[in-house]
Amino acid sequence: MDAIRGINPGSLPMGSPQQVGSTQQTDFRDFLLRSIREVNSMQQEADRAVERLMLGEEVTPAEVLTAVQKADIAFKLMMQIRNKLIQAYQEIQNIRV
Amino acid sequence: MFSALDISTSALVAQRIRITAIAGNIANISTTHNERGEPHPYQPRYVTFQADPAVGAFGAKGVRVSGVRVEDRPPRYKYEPGHPDAIQQGPMRGYVAYPNINLMTEFTDALEAARAYEANLGAIEITKDMTQQTLRILA
Repeated sequence: MDAIRGINPGSLPMGSPQQVGSTQQTDFRDFLLRSIREVNSMQQEADRAVERLMLGEEVTPAEVLTAVQKADIAFKLMMQIRNKLIQAYQEIQNIRV
Repeated sequence: MFSALDISTSALVAQRIRITAIAGNIANISTTHNERGEPHPYQPRYVTFQADPAVGAFGAKGVRVSGVRVEDRPPRYKYEPGHPDAIQQGPMRGYVAYPNINLMTEFTDALEAARAYEANLGAIEITKDMTQQTLRILA
């Protein structure tokens, strides 16, 4: 994973690939871990919201369901990225040397 | 990333509060005592909205309840001499002061709030679909 450096995820330069890796070196691994942590915190937030709703606290169901939906979409996005990474890894594995 | 969802949710919450106030008005349509138990007809409550103070580049980041307006209307008098809250003296003797709440307008307001709720649910649906469709780029 350390080899995958130089991608600048904060400001994806759409249509100008020559910028990649030129400024602001962000470790891809750190970025990935940070994203996973964010997805995790979203899910915890959704869990807390559901718990509060079930306990009969003053929360609107709409807020709870939105929190759940956000966590779901974030998780799906994370899974897609993970699938893509695994796919890329396997393709590299299949290279004959 | 999820700002559109949050904006629509804030509207859902606001409209729900509005419905709560309307439900309170309808529930107290024949209430002759106020919340302190004094003989005073219920004063209808109306919720007012304001745009979220955090206005982003693409407009308001949601809606908030700015306050609840307590409408001080003259009561609706009804002749009921046997009622315990009937006025005992003066020219209005035998009349009972009832809240001046119009069911027609209350229901129209409730319907409007319900439709607004539905509209925001539609916006959430579209946002959700768009996000899920976007995932197909990678899949």
